Amino acid sequence: MKKSRDGEHNPGRRKFLKGVGIAGAGAAIADHLWEEKTEAKEEQSTPQTVSGATKISLQVNGQARSVQVEPRTTLLNALRNHLEPAVTGPKLVCDVGTCGACTVLLDGKPVYSCLVLAVDATNKKITTVEGLGSPEKPNGVQAAFVEHDALMCGFCTPGFVTTISAYLKKNPNPSLDEVREACKGNFCRCGTYPRVFEAALAAAKAAI
Amino acid sequence: MPQQQQPTPSPSPKPKKKIRVPRVVNGVEQMVEIEVDEDSGPGWGPNDKHTLLNRRITRVDGSLKAAGAAHYTYDQRLPGMLYGRILRCPHGHARVTKLDTEAAAKIPGVKAIVPAPLTELRFAGAPVAAVAAVTPEIAGDALRAIKVTYEVLPHVVHADAAMKPDAPKVVADENNVQEKAKNGDPAKVEAAFATADAIVEAEYITQRVHHACLETHGMVVDYRGGNSATIYASTQGTFTIPADAAKELGLEQSAVVSLVEHMGGGFGSKFGIGIEGMFACRLSKETKAPVKLMLTRYDEFVMAGNRSGSLQKMKAGVKNDGTIVALQAKQYRLGGIGQGSQAGQPYIYRMGDTYREIYALHTNEDSAIAMRAPGHPQASFAVESLVDELAYKIKMDPVAFRKKNLRDEVYHRQLDRGAKEIGWSRRNPIAGGNPGPLKRGMGCAVGTWGGGGNNQCKVDLTISRDGSVLVACGTQDLGTGTRTYTRAIVAEEFGLGMNDVKEQIGSSKLGSANPSGGSTTAASLAPSVKDAAIKARVMFVERVAPLLGNAKPEEVVFADGKVSAKGQSLTWKQACAALPAAGVKSHGEWRADLQSRGVHGVCFAEVEVDVETGHIKPIKMVHVQDGGLPLNRLTLESQINGGMIQSLGQALYEGRVMDAQLGLQLNPGFGDYKLPGCLEMPELVPIIDDDDKREAVIGIAEGCIIPALGAIANAVFNATGLRIRELPITPDKILMGTKV
Repeated sequence: MKKSRDGEHNPGRRKFLKGVGIAGAGAAIADHLWEEKTEAKEEQSTPQTVSGATKISLQVNGQARSVQVEPRTTLLNALRNHLEPAVTGPKLVCDVGTCGACTVLLDGKPVYSCLVLAVDATNKKITTVEGLGSPEKPNGVQAAFVEHDALMCGFCTPGFVTTISAYLKKNPNPSLDEVREACKGNFCRCGTYPRVFEAALAAAKAAI
Repeated sequence: MPQQQQPTPSPSPKPKKKIRVPRVVNGVEQMVEIEVDEDSGPGWGPNDKHTLLNRRITRVDGSLKAAGAAHYTYDQRLPGMLYGRILRCPHGHARVTKLDTEAAAKIPGVKAIVPAPLTELRFAGAPVAAVAAVTPEIAGDALRAIKVTYEVLPHVVHADAAMKPDAPKVVADENNVQEKAKNGDPAKVEAAFATADAIVEAEYITQRVHHACLETHGMVVDYRGGNSATIYASTQGTFTIPADAAKELGLEQSAVVSLVEHMGGGFGSKFGIGIEGMFACRLSKETKAPVKLMLTRYDEFVMAGNRSGSLQKMKAGVKNDGTIVALQAKQYRLGGIGQGSQAGQPYIYRMGDTYREIYALHTNEDSAIAMRAPGHPQASFAVESLVDELAYKIKMDPVAFRKKNLRDEVYHRQLDRGAKEIGWSRRNPIAGGNPGPLKRGMGCAVGTWGGGGNNQCKVDLTISRDGSVLVACGTQDLGTGTRTYTRAIVAEEFGLGMNDVKEQIGSSKLGSANPSGGSTTAASLAPSVKDAAIKARVMFVERVAPLLGNAKPEEVVFADGKVSAKGQSLTWKQACAALPAAGVKSHGEWRADLQSRGVHGVCFAEVEVDVETGHIKPIKMVHVQDGGLPLNRLTLESQINGGMIQSLGQALYEGRVMDAQLGLQLNPGFGDYKLPGCLEMPELVPIIDDDDKREAVIGIAEGCIIPALGAIANAVFNATGLRIRELPITPDKILMGTKV
């Protein structure tokens, strides 16, 4: 990929990114998943100016992964389109932070990875659905999803699994209403909600 | 005299019979006549005698999906792959007079730009051109840099405006309103109205809703300039891809393979390569590089189809004893630039003398396309609302009233079952009669569908000497659990566990299969799988009988991983070791007697309406569904839940909103187009009607999405006394109704 030249019509790739504004906004929107307010750690990172394609290092599922991205590349697209091999558990569904299918954990907290810039995730531990368990060794939530048939086409599933896995760490023994509240930022179209709730409650029960 | 030579007798042909079966073309069922064998083989046996089927089997691909390891089309990434994006028309109706791609082509990383085949664009969102670039971000830059000059033409996007004689024409020189059918004798109906004790005349409107598949439409075309190509497609029809893709790529159809490993939802919207697939092929052909073109969410809303809207003017007459004597219906299908769809009234009711007219009404909007039970929820909503109005008018219980006018006894038992489950006896028969601002109410409705199969599925089954079992067919799993029941049918036949059998699907290199539309998949595939299993069993028994005291075929029992006869028993592996080197291979063909068609469903809903805010809270929904032999109760219940939830969305939340002036959709994203979510979920009770004893597979996906619209609207009426005849039933409509 060639670097962009100055002067051409190319708004997306001009030097535009200063500091952390957009990533902060992304985290804030995903934060509505939580009832209590948490301190936004993003504000502590050092503002710097980046332009063109840049090599960065991301800590994905416990591994340091080097990747070349543009400043505007979202964490979601970095994982899916640039990391080699790709990490495709988080799904691109709306790309504007409305559906939750791209949910990943940043330092254990769920965020919509389509609203986080890759360059703003360099100092965070990124956990995707793949980092929570594998088909052979699923975590409790993943196992409960299979057991309770909490998935159909499966495209929303990684987002729900990630959101619920993080929530159960925070609240190990939730009520049905708390589970609903915890995953209200995730959409499903096939209609798995009731069984998603069942699976979350069963996973919580099994872990206690 | 020399004896006349007799012609060599050909093997006596199996007796054949002709039957009519559904074929799906672009998601819509058409009935065709085919010939099948008169005599058939062993059946499924009684529904309550299965060891795997009709039980709760967890999905075989569940752990892959839950761990993010299932690979979808959207997840494909190939070396050197380019990303495609589509430029869309910003006007309700326009002609492209100039397409200047010079600046866009100069952007580093942009590899190809191709124009759309049509220059007259009849809706906002119609494709103008497509680009391929090394990243999706750069493809977006290129779209912004393309300069298009449009000759803007007059448009009309609202049905009432489109009906006016001076409305802008959607298609030049053609009326926006087109007559499609007239059935019945209007004079007879008029006479019947004269015998009625009460008459209801009303107009019902259903909005256009979106499929909103979470995986958008699109494909990855892996073509690098050679003589062959591989297409990864998010499709409901593996075999609907190669022919058109080959045409676009200039290749022989046999050199194009389509793969559908997993797909993220279709609901009727994904057949064939589509305009996005056409662009992907053209871009790949031009660049000789793999191209991935998945629609953006915005694209998905504005150009990937929607459920046909409807406008239905109905008039019905009823006698005081509850007999409906006449119906007159004027039905408009609101399909945008397309034809739309709508089942004819009086849908499934017996209404004495009936007369109906059906019209297609065109607007400058993206074409409606097939969506889960095309045309049925619309017709059902109107007739179920009308039936409810008639029942209240003559002060008859809506359940009893329905029974009175439904011939089929299956509905009667299902209505009783649903009424019991929802607690119908708690319902206040006086609409809006409960005190206080939070008013609860209940409603019900019924629905039907075909769900039969056809003879398009060809299944190959291999049992190897090492004991491994592979069943293969090119079909696709939309999230319905196709993989799981395919495996279960074979495992059950041989007394094996679910993990002892593997299945292979989603490839056009495998045996052919029908596209998954019209709930035809299960009833097409399962019989072919069963046939393959039965044939393999016969061959298998032939080989192992000598090891079991020369047992007769009917004496050999397959159970619990063992093959037994005459008091002797072999483990599955021991038995398989007796097979020839190539193992046992069988080919399964469809058998009409292993499936059937015709399903019944009833839905009951309870809602709570806050008449001070207009907020409607769904409390509980019950859906009772028959469907012959349930292949897998767990996934079947999930599908019934899905039908209720999607209906709930259409009843209360969803709807395409168009701006009349600009001709644009105002809510093309999940931020503005409201899908039912976690907080809206009522208690959902999916009930499989086990009183259906048919030992036959029948599809139910469509059946269970039909009646809920009417059930919810009728519950809102029972709660409030407000008859909302236009969907979605939003708080504003409640408030407008309560303010006198």
